[in-house]
Amino acid sequence: MTDTMDKIEQAYREKAQRAQTWSGLPVEQFYGPSDVTGLNYDNNVADPGQYPFARGIHRDMYRGRFWTRREVCGWGRGSDTNKWLKFQLQQGISGVSVVFDNGGHLGLDADHPQGRHELGVTGVSISSLQDAEDLWGDIPLDKVSTSIIESSPAIAVRVAEYVTVAERRGMDIGCLRGNVQNDSLHFHFCGNGIATPVDMATKMGVDVIEYLTRNLPNFYVFSVNMYDLRENGISAAQEIAFGLGIAQTYIEGALARGLDVDSFGPRCSFYVAAHIDLFEEVAKFRAMRRMWARMLRDKYGAKDERTMKFKAGVHTAGSSLTFQQPLNNVVRVAYQALAAALGGVQSIHCCSYDEAISIPSEEALTLAIRTQQMLAYETGVANVADPMGGSYYVESLTDKLEEEATRILRHIETVGGMKKAIQSGWVEAEIQKAAVLHRKEVDDGQRIVVGVNAFQGDAAESAQPRTFRIPDEILQAQIAATRRLREERDNAALRRAIDHLRREVDKGEQHNLMPAVIEATRCYGTTGEIIGTIREAYGHTYDPLDLIQSPFRGQG
Amino acid sequence: MEKKPRVLIAKMGLDGHDRAAKVVTAILRDAGMEVIYLGSYQTADRIVRAAMEEDVDAIGLSCLCGAHVSYAQELKERMRQQGLGDVLLLVGGVIPQEDVSTLHEVGADGVFPAGASAESITSFIFERVKATVA
Repeated sequence: MTDTMDKIEQAYREKAQRAQTWSGLPVEQFYGPSDVTGLNYDNNVADPGQYPFARGIHRDMYRGRFWTRREVCGWGRGSDTNKWLKFQLQQGISGVSVVFDNGGHLGLDADHPQGRHELGVTGVSISSLQDAEDLWGDIPLDKVSTSIIESSPAIAVRVAEYVTVAERRGMDIGCLRGNVQNDSLHFHFCGNGIATPVDMATKMGVDVIEYLTRNLPNFYVFSVNMYDLRENGISAAQEIAFGLGIAQTYIEGALARGLDVDSFGPRCSFYVAAHIDLFEEVAKFRAMRRMWARMLRDKYGAKDERTMKFKAGVHTAGSSLTFQQPLNNVVRVAYQALAAALGGVQSIHCCSYDEAISIPSEEALTLAIRTQQMLAYETGVANVADPMGGSYYVESLTDKLEEEATRILRHIETVGGMKKAIQSGWVEAEIQKAAVLHRKEVDDGQRIVVGVNAFQGDAAESAQPRTFRIPDEILQAQIAATRRLREERDNAALRRAIDHLRREVDKGEQHNLMPAVIEATRCYGTTGEIIGTIREAYGHTYDPLDLIQSPFRGQG
Repeated sequence: MEKKPRVLIAKMGLDGHDRAAKVVTAILRDAGMEVIYLGSYQTADRIVRAAMEEDVDAIGLSCLCGAHVSYAQELKERMRQQGLGDVLLLVGGVIPQEDVSTLHEVGADGVFPAGASAESITSFIFERVKATVA
């Protein structure tokens, strides 16, 4: 009895002890007018829809249109993900978002010797146009905005497949809406460096930017994945700076290709984290918008206001979710989605509460969608653009984050840009430092994570949700289908297309490979074959893992 | 003088998400161990060869993509074949509760699902390595 009484006494006296944002910025007890004396509303903040767009990129924000509700999905074969997409559409998503499996990221086919255990597990297994036909199948691509999540050079093949499927179904590809991630630089920090040899990958990224700019005017040309960088443990300011630094590389590549900044600028986008410190995240989105607007106008000479508008898709922070007490994650995700909506983003993916153990079950996914719907329809948050604008704390924090992020971005620019900063090892060192520090703070109890280092409760509370498992038959079928495809397709036509692709690479850095990639895709060339051929032409091994050889060596 | 535990950290298969493996590497080094970070895309063969060359006390396998049982099984078999049956096998990452006992059955000595504390990992290694040496 005394134990319980002591506990209540202790609980009564608990207080906020960590007077910092999640990222470690110190915060005051309160903020007042003296913290925002330099505000300069007209020049630095402005109304929503007005340069520099700190308050939002549209005057009417969610009264014009809600953020897109997009839930990342992908598992098994094309047909499995197609069914899953239809389930999502039924539950109320308003945009489609597909991610590919680990083999896909590396540019490997389903029948690759080292791929056996990871086939279709963390993304859908797509090796060829045949699989893509099953994936996109009967989805009304000309009516649904589609996110194609791939950042290795394989994105070129994914785009080729998507466009081919749409065309064959009689659609006007100019009507297709959506985005590609197409961010090879960030991939180095998800450990996918071997799939994205820097020069080849950035060049092909520009090929995709150029192809989309010229052919799919409603498609976003890249979506810099700041989310994955943040997930490695970095701060909000680093997230902003690294993201903008990466974008600079792609913008400059596109400009060097001869594209006008306003021809692709309006369709640059970012994939951003929504983390658990609500105010810091809202301030982050506002700071990012302001920095992007200035960067595009002042550094790159943009004239079109649409180019200066920062477009953000959000993914709530998976790394903040816990293995212990999984239902707590429902609440965390709700807070994070709230931060995103208050932050004026353009689309939201809510993680599912079983994030720490597997890809989402149907129940968990449905709840994630409902989270967004409650946010949109019940809380009133969507009625007013930038509802936190004018808050002394949020305006002050916005300025602070911009200041910190600018300092980091200037450093990156000084060392010669993001590519150089990555190649020198500096970015990796910064990320590792942040990740180790974060881990230490949790282990030391300086950062409280409910259920992990505080309030551990009992075993029942940590009862695990059902783990989503993929039946082995599906994976076997995918391997068999890939092998059958290699035998049954017109291999002579493919051979010609592959040889043509190889010659196209030799035409140099300004020459766009997309037409040749599309041609090889139409001949049912597999990802491994198409990307492998390009890799060889660049002087790399055909297979990133160097376990298989090109079947196209020698004269056709 | 007590020998520093030598630990090899690796990932098998295709998944390149290596931040956790790198953070654990830092944790073990800070705790006074010698760590050989082999990295991603390893095969059981390569891991075992490196483990032999480096004469390690423990191998730490990080798996975030659901294939932990398959990889642990493959690796343990290879370890036994090459006479490394005494080397500890630790598995960490995205591991559902229901797989913990399965992992032990296929030969994992320590299993550390997401959220395992640094202390739990380091103390496990120190205790078990001391026991082996003693």
